Amino acid sequence: MSIAEYQAYGYFALTVFLVIVLYSYIYHLYSTDKKEGGHDYESYSNIALKDDIDDTPVTSMSDDKEK
Amino acid sequence: MENRPLEYDYTVAKMFMFTTIVLGIVGMLVGVILAFQLAYPGMNLFLGEGLAEYTNFSRLRPLHTDAVVFGFTLSGIFATWYYVGQRVLKVSMAESGFLMFIGKLHFWLYLVGVAAVVVSLLMGITTSKEYAEFEWPIDIAIVIVWVLFGMSIFGLIGIRREKSLYISVWYYIACFLGIAMLYLFNNMAIPTMLGTAADGASGIGAWYHSVSMYAGTNDALVQWWYGHNAVAFGFTVPIVAMIYYFLPKESGQAIYSYKLSLLSFWGLMFVYLWAGGHHLLFSTVPDWVQTMGSVFSVILILPSWGSAINMLLTMKGEWQQVASSPLIKFMVLGSTFYMFSTLEGPIQAIKSVNAIAHFTDWIVGHVHDGTLGWVGFMIMAALFHMAPRVFKREIYSKSLMVTQFWIQTLGVVLYFTSMWIAGITQGMMWRAHDEFGNLAYSFIDTVTVLHPYYTIRGIGGLLYFVGFLMFAYNIYKTMSARPVEESELQNASPMGA
Amino acid sequence: MFHWLEKHPFFFAVAVFVTIAFAGLIEILPNFAQQSRPVIGTAPYSTLELAGRHVYIKNSCNACHSQLIRPFKSETDRYGHYSLSGEYAYDRPFLWGSKRTGPDLMRVGNYRTTDWHENHMKNPAAVVPGSIMPAYTWMFTNKADIDTAFAEQLTIAQFFSVPYNKPVPMKDGSTKIVKMGGSVAEANALALAEAKIIAADMKDQDVKDAVANGEIPEIVAIIAYMNSLK
Repeated sequence: MSIAEYQAYGYFALTVFLVIVLYSYIYHLYSTDKKEGGHDYESYSNIALKDDIDDTPVTSMSDDKEK
Repeated sequence: MENRPLEYDYTVAKMFMFTTIVLGIVGMLVGVILAFQLAYPGMNLFLGEGLAEYTNFSRLRPLHTDAVVFGFTLSGIFATWYYVGQRVLKVSMAESGFLMFIGKLHFWLYLVGVAAVVVSLLMGITTSKEYAEFEWPIDIAIVIVWVLFGMSIFGLIGIRREKSLYISVWYYIACFLGIAMLYLFNNMAIPTMLGTAADGASGIGAWYHSVSMYAGTNDALVQWWYGHNAVAFGFTVPIVAMIYYFLPKESGQAIYSYKLSLLSFWGLMFVYLWAGGHHLLFSTVPDWVQTMGSVFSVILILPSWGSAINMLLTMKGEWQQVASSPLIKFMVLGSTFYMFSTLEGPIQAIKSVNAIAHFTDWIVGHVHDGTLGWVGFMIMAALFHMAPRVFKREIYSKSLMVTQFWIQTLGVVLYFTSMWIAGITQGMMWRAHDEFGNLAYSFIDTVTVLHPYYTIRGIGGLLYFVGFLMFAYNIYKTMSARPVEESELQNASPMGA
Repeated sequence: MFHWLEKHPFFFAVAVFVTIAFAGLIEILPNFAQQSRPVIGTAPYSTLELAGRHVYIKNSCNACHSQLIRPFKSETDRYGHYSLSGEYAYDRPFLWGSKRTGPDLMRVGNYRTTDWHENHMKNPAAVVPGSIMPAYTWMFTNKADIDTAFAEQLTIAQFFSVPYNKPVPMKDGSTKIVKMGGSVAEANALALAEAKIIAADMKDQDVKDAVANGEIPEIVAIIAYMNSLK
């Protein structure tokens, strides 16, 4: 096989892989906020809106450790 | 020491705000001079015959591009990072002496690098590769500056209180990684002082000179892979980072769809790098690379518009703010220009359009509606938003902002319309044949015909530059304007009359 | 998995890097070896030509002049045969340019002479009425940097096996040997010998005197370079 063929296969395989990843990502984004224990992605907008140093973080580092 | 409440520390942000403004003035002034040199060649001697070597078009041209790219824009990126980074991660630089030191070192080394670049470009020390003109000693300095930038990004992330990374941080990370990869590979070179003569002598000639690791077509391929994506990761990615923070914050509106912003991010990451081939259509690079460049350029509209539309829809129901706040005006027009130039770019990347557009002023026009309309407007808006928070004072003058906005908008419109006409006129004249199949025009015919458009472009650029001076003056006066309370700084920036 | 990635900056950065590095890997690497092979008739630059190329770069001539002829009738009519990949095999860096404010120079050596360049560089508008190109008068007094050009020859011969002092095939079946000096003095002597041929066709007395005195003004070097573009 020539290098050009490797190139073509490599390109094709990775593109397919990335397309699958992208679509499952879309699925993940839109299904997770309905699931139990999921996350509401839209709430992350508040990271910018409530960004004073004494505001409560949207997802706190310390919360995570307690779990 | 008294026990004060913790505050964000904007020392480094302030430093970079300063260089953003100063280098913006330098870069744009040189740009205006260049524009008039094309319209009136006598301008090449504007400092007299004796200095002609340092004032002529060709010597100044790299200085213009590098001053606005690596001076104005990069400073703006750093300034906003040292502001936005702390806030969305909810951690102050005052909490880490180490990060503070890195930040300051980052600034001072950057300043040294800028000085070296200005001197070397004026002397004509250049590798000739666009936006990568610097010889190896400066490249090494740039790499160090960039590593410091990375340390400060990941250092701040390391001590954050907010577990989730805000979308802007994603874009800053991508900016850091993308530029690092591109810059390193494109600037691979061997210093010529390593060459050894048959008689054993080495270290011959200029010590700073180097020769590219790549030759001819390969060099072109690597250069435009870099050149195109330096635009991506310097002019798109970090500017999107800015608007995702500053527009919601200034308007008080949550991002229209946070999910869409995440999707656009990955879309942009994947697609952008493939599009570099469109700079080399009809050249000697392999045909499939050219076609791929063309196709992916068109696909690129999707993630770009994803971000831009998301921004415009963020203003949904709050459009009166566009009328009332000049700061929102800058950002909304900025994202409109972003949509415009991300549509124009793919059109130019279509092979048959590119056949006419390539090598003409239409490309110059395209670059400038992106940089003046999108990058310039967004960075100025970011600084306008930061100034009251950094100085704890209201913006000096709202009416000056409004005037500046309209002057600059007029400038951009004059710029790109004149360059459209100039580019298409010249492209069509180059290829025109008469009835016997001979070329219809000699080359000089296609140059002299452009004079009126070059003049209009010069005026457009001058207007934009005047607006930028107004911006600089406004920020300068803000430092001594009316002090404001913390409560006034929640969303819309306080502005004086 | 996605959500985990979003909260772990290091792995997030790795994911971003893989996504963006992928394109470069596929696009650029595999074509490298093939495209760097020179076509027959392409020879490395001589010391003086290389010094002239440095003058060309120093003054960013490539900001306004391309060196890339696209395969269109209008371009081949105007500038000559369209460009081939192998013709650039010895171009480090490439000088294709991205804007044609002035005409393409890929094959300017075929249709412009030393005499034409001399007058044109002194006052472009006098040779081409309406020209917006600035004059490059300092090239007549600045001295070309032969040492650096020689150092570059040594470097590319050493690291990239550029065939100096070796026969290179020409289009007519003959071979040509591009000489490279064995020492700085020898390199300067070679360049000077070449410069004398150029200066003989020039009219500027100061340039002629300089070359007679063993000095090489930039203008001589850049004309040598442009004459070599064919």
